[in-house]
Amino acid sequence: MALTDNKLKIPLYLIQAQRERRFYLLLTIFFMIVLIFWVGIPIFMTVMWSLVDPKNPWSYPNLFPPSFSSAQWKYVFDYTNIGRALRTSYSLAPLSMLFSLVLSLPTSYVLGRKKIPGKKLLMLVVLLPIIMPGMVVALFLSRVFTALRLSQTFFGLVLAHTLMSLPYMIRVMTTSFQAIPQDVIDAAENLGASTFVKIRDIFLPMIRPGLLAGMIFAFTVSIEEFNLTFIIGTPTFETIPTILYSFMGYYFIRTHASVVALLMMTPNIIMLFIVERFLKSDYLAASLGKM
Amino acid sequence: MKNKEISPMNILMLFPGVGFILLFIGSSIFLTLVQSFGLFSITGISEFTLENWKAILQTKESIDSLLFSLKMGLLSSVGTVVVAFPIALFFRKGGTGKGIMGSIIKVPLFIPALVAAFLILNLISYHGLVNTVLLRLNLIDESLRMLNDKFGWGVVFIQIWKNLPFVLLIVMASLASIRDDTIDAAKNLGAGYWSILFRIYVPLAIPGILVSMILMFIKAFGDFPIASVAGPIYPASMAGRMHIMATIYQEWDQAAVLGVIIIVTAFIVIWAYSRLAEFVKGEV
Amino acid sequence: MSKLIIKNLTKKFNEVLAVDNLSLEVSDGEFVTLLGPSGCGKTTTLRAIAGFCYPDEGEIFFGDRIMNNVPPNKRNTAMCFQSYALFPHMSVWDNICFGLKMQKISRQEQKKRISRVMGMLGIEGLEKRKPGQLSGGQQQRVALARAIVTEPQVLLFDEPLSNLDAKLRVQVRIEIREMQKRLGITTLYVTHDQDEALAISDRIVVMNSGHVEQLGDPYTIYRNPRTSFVAGFIGLANIYQGNIIAKNGNRYTLETSFGKVTILSEGQKIPKTNKTVKFIWRPEEMKIYTKGAPNRIKGKILQAVFMGNITDIFIDVQGNKIRAQIDEPAKINAGDVIEFSIPEDAFSILRG
Repeated sequence: MALTDNKLKIPLYLIQAQRERRFYLLLTIFFMIVLIFWVGIPIFMTVMWSLVDPKNPWSYPNLFPPSFSSAQWKYVFDYTNIGRALRTSYSLAPLSMLFSLVLSLPTSYVLGRKKIPGKKLLMLVVLLPIIMPGMVVALFLSRVFTALRLSQTFFGLVLAHTLMSLPYMIRVMTTSFQAIPQDVIDAAENLGASTFVKIRDIFLPMIRPGLLAGMIFAFTVSIEEFNLTFIIGTPTFETIPTILYSFMGYYFIRTHASVVALLMMTPNIIMLFIVERFLKSDYLAASLGKM
Repeated sequence: MKNKEISPMNILMLFPGVGFILLFIGSSIFLTLVQSFGLFSITGISEFTLENWKAILQTKESIDSLLFSLKMGLLSSVGTVVVAFPIALFFRKGGTGKGIMGSIIKVPLFIPALVAAFLILNLISYHGLVNTVLLRLNLIDESLRMLNDKFGWGVVFIQIWKNLPFVLLIVMASLASIRDDTIDAAKNLGAGYWSILFRIYVPLAIPGILVSMILMFIKAFGDFPIASVAGPIYPASMAGRMHIMATIYQEWDQAAVLGVIIIVTAFIVIWAYSRLAEFVKGEV
Repeated sequence: MSKLIIKNLTKKFNEVLAVDNLSLEVSDGEFVTLLGPSGCGKTTTLRAIAGFCYPDEGEIFFGDRIMNNVPPNKRNTAMCFQSYALFPHMSVWDNICFGLKMQKISRQEQKKRISRVMGMLGIEGLEKRKPGQLSGGQQQRVALARAIVTEPQVLLFDEPLSNLDAKLRVQVRIEIREMQKRLGITTLYVTHDQDEALAISDRIVVMNSGHVEQLGDPYTIYRNPRTSFVAGFIGLANIYQGNIIAKNGNRYTLETSFGKVTILSEGQKIPKTNKTVKFIWRPEEMKIYTKGAPNRIKGKILQAVFMGNITDIFIDVQGNKIRAQIDEPAKINAGDVIEFSIPEDAFSILRG
C-alpha cells in the first residue's frame, strides 16, 4: 500500500494531478503558438508585401523585404481603379443591405410566428442562394438579366447582392421573431395596443439585436461577393473582390494585390470585433446554416 | 405559441423574401437546365437536343474536370473536419486563454475567400515562406510545388484554412450540447478515453459534422475563384471549365450542361446527407 | 470487504474550502446519507469518492485499497446523477449495458443481468426506447438500473430524486432503500432533503460549510441534535440558552429569558465549569398545560394555523417567540392567553 513516493515523500496522487495539469497547460500554450502562426503569418506576410520598396525588390532568399516604402499603396491608389472599386463596393453594400432588410421583414415574421404547411421546404428554398454553386447561378442569372436589360447595370448588381444576402437576413430575422414570447404580445393587446403600436413598441425593439446581426451579415456578404459581380458587373463596374481577382490573374503583381487584399480585409476584421463584442455567437451559428 | 390561421395576408407576406429568391434562382436554374438541352439557345437554333450532353460527357477534359472537382470537394470537407474535430474537443475542455484563442481562430471566417486565397498563396508559392523555411531547415532538398500543382494541394489547403472556423463553430455547437455529467457517467461506468471518444463524442457530434461536411463539399466542388487562382491549369475545376466554355468559347449550351452536372451533384449530396442523417438517428 | 473509509478529506476550490478535514467510515452494506444545504461540501465529497476530483489532502480507501491514484473509470463505484445523465443517443438497453460492455462481460451474462435488473425495477418493455421518450420516473429507474447492473463495490447517489414530483419522490426513495437492502451494496447518498435522509438512512452525516456537524442514526440526530445548525436544519426547533441555577443529578434548572425550565440531560454531559447551557426542544413536544405537568409556560398566542392533524402556533412568552405544534382539537385563536407545558426529557443540549 505505497502511499507515498518514497524518494520525494509526496503522495502519488498529487504528483499525478500535477502532471495532468502541466500537460494541459503545455497543450494550451502549444495551441496558442500554432494559432498565432496559422492566422498571423499569412496576414503578416501580406502586410510585408504591401510595403515593399520598388527600388529594392524582395525576392528569395531574403526572409524580409530589404527596405520598406509606401510606394505600393501610393501606386495602387493613384494608378489603378481602386478608388472606383471602393466606391462601388461601399455603395452596393448598404443598398443591398437595406433591400434585403425590407424584403425579409414580412417573410421572416410569417416564418417565425405563423404555422404554415411546408415550412421546412420554404426554409430550404430560402437557403438556395447559399447552397447553389455560385458560378452556375452567376452565369445563367446573367443571361436572365441580359434578357431583362439588367446586365451591366448598377441596379442589377444591387439585385444580385440582395439575392445573396437574403438567406442570412431571413434566417436571423426568423429566429428573432420566433424568440418573442406570445405572452408579451397578448399582454400588449390586452392593454389596448393597435397594430402600429405593436410593431413600433414591441416587435421592433425586441428584434433589434437580430436586425443588427442580419445587417452586418448582409453588408459583409455584399462586400465579399465575387461570382455574380464578376459575371454581371465586369467590365463596367468593379468592386474590391473583382479588382483583387484581376490583380491575381494574368497581371499578377503581388505587391499591388497585397494592398488590395489588406484593404478588403480591414473592414471585415473590424466587423469581427464588433460581432464578438456585442452579439451572441448563437446568431453566428444560426445563420451559418443549422440545417 | 404561434397562431394557427393561415390567412392570405400571410401568404402575401411571404412573397417579398421567398418570392424574390425563387424568382431569380428559379429562373437561372431553369435556364441552365433548359439550355443544356438546346432550348432557349442564344446561337439562334433552339431545339431539343442531346448533342450538348454527348459533347460534354464524351470529352476527356470534362471528365477530368469532374473528377478534379470531386476530389477537391471530398478532400476539403473531410480534411477540414479531421482538423476541426480534435480542436473542438480541446476547446470543450476549457481552460485558460479560451476566449482569446476563440477570437483568433475565428479570423479566417471574416476574411473573404479571395483574400484568403491570396494570403495563403503568398506563403505556399514556389519561393514563398513555407518553402524558404523548409529549405533552410534542410527538411527538403527542392522547393515543393504546392501552388497550381497538378493534384490541387494549394486549393485544398486554402479551403481548409478559410473554412476551419466555420466547421469548428458547428462541431463545437454539437459537442456543447453534450452534458458534462453524461461524460462523468460514462467514466463512472468504466469508459476510458477512447471509449468515450468513439461511443459518446463522435455519435453525438455526427449531425453537426455531417452538416458542415455537405456545406463544405458543395462549396469546394462548385468553387470558381480559388481553383482558378491556386489550382492547376489542367484540369480546370468544373466551375472554371464552365466559365471558359461560356465566356471564351461562347458555347453556352455546353456550359449549361456542366452547370446542370454541378447542380445535380449538389442535390445528390444533399439527398445523401438527409438519408445518412436519418440512418444515423435511427441506428444510434 | 466493501468498506468505505474516508480519512481527513480536504478539498479547496480557488480559495474556498469546500471540504474541511472530513473523516468517515461506512460499513459494508450500510446506507449513509450526507445531508446539508447547498455548498456544504456533500457533492464534492461524493465526487471525490467517484474519482472526479482529486483531494488536496486525505485518503480514500475501499476496504484495504487506497483509491487516490485510481482514475474514475477504474474505480468500482457506480453513480446515480441528479440529471440521470443517460446517454441520449442510446436505447435503454444500451444505456444499461454500457458499464457491462466496459467490463467486457459476456453477451449471455449481460442479458441475464440486465433482464434481472429491469425486472427488479419494473421497467421491462422499455428496452428499445430512447431516454427522450421516457418519463422522469422511468429515466430515474433506468439510471438506477445502469448503476446497479455493474455490481459495484460502492453505490453513490447525487440527489437523484430532486427532479421528480413530490409524490413520486416519496415512492421512489423507498424503492431505492429496499433494493439497496436486498443487494447489500455499501451506499453513500447525498441530499438536501431532510425528510428523505431521515426516512431511508442507516446513518446521517449532517454537513455545513465543508465540515461535519453531527454523525449518527436518524433517531439520535432528530432527538439529540448536537449543534444549533443541526437542530435548525432538521425539523423545527426552539433554540434558547439559560443560566444554571440548580443541579440535581441529571436535572438542571435553568433561568432563561422566558422563565425557569427544568431539563433532564440523559447521557449529555455538561462540563462542571459551565454556567450556561444552550438547548433546544421541538415544537411538537409541547402540550397544553394540565395539572402537575412540568415546565409550565404562559403565553399569548400570536398566530395559530389549523393544519388538520396539528395546529401550528406561535406564542409570545415574556417577549420571546416560541413555536408549538399540538394535536389537540381545541380551537385556538390569536390573542388567547394559554398555558403550555414541556416534558423534561424533551430537551437536547447543544454544543455549538
